[in-house]
Amino acid sequence: MAINEEVILKSELRWAIVVGGIVAVILIAILYAALAMHINPPSNREYVDPKTLHLSAEFTEANLGTRVDPNGQIVARVIATQFEFVPNCIVLPAERDVTLRFTSPDVIHGILVSGTNVNTMIVPGYVAQVHTRFTKTGDLLMPCHEFCGLGHSQMLATVRVVRPEAFRPGSDGRIACGDRR
Amino acid sequence: MVEPSYPESAHDYVSDSEELERLEAALHQAPKGALVVSAISVGLLLVGWLGLYYLVFLPRGSVG
Repeated sequence: MAINEEVILKSELRWAIVVGGIVAVILIAILYAALAMHINPPSNREYVDPKTLHLSAEFTEANLGTRVDPNGQIVARVIATQFEFVPNCIVLPAERDVTLRFTSPDVIHGILVSGTNVNTMIVPGYVAQVHTRFTKTGDLLMPCHEFCGLGHSQMLATVRVVRPEAFRPGSDGRIACGDRR
Repeated sequence: MVEPSYPESAHDYVSDSEELERLEAALHQAPKGALVVSAISVGLLLVGWLGLYYLVFLPRGSVG
């Protein structure tokens, strides 16, 4: 069999079919997870004025960190700013549904929590929100993963995941890393 | 500058026509080899992707 254009075209077509099949397999896997298992990227769209974060109700300094709402929902609120997280350590329980809410007063940041699917951008003017359930206890690193300036590499926080029975918020529903109860 | 040296056998053909024949024979095998290498590398990539997706990403659950 001589090498000619027809042979080359045939092998390229075969390869294109194989690659098309692989792309189809991956797309079907992603679509199935999205539609049947509801595994989607964080898609919260909520606005906040970055100029008045410290004055607005939700992200004032006193309201940051982990809090158990009266309805039992566990929410941690964190501000990402150049070049730190406020607070830089949050306590959350394992095996419970938790919500993390972030916003930024200055530039675009991003976070991930190591060993979990928690991963979102934090854009000034918006509230980034993720829901998760931690399965292991321990201190997890939460670094900024979007270059935000010269101090970017120093910008990291800790997510302290504790056993559910060790998660004992105060009477105000709040709990912080330094608490001794 | 030192001149590169080639093994003598690379040019050790009886005639130009024999060299052409051997060249053509080698080129016949080239597409099969390329397909085998491509299939192995793409297959490994696919297995790696599916492994990470089903064994790491999906068990960690939704965050949306």
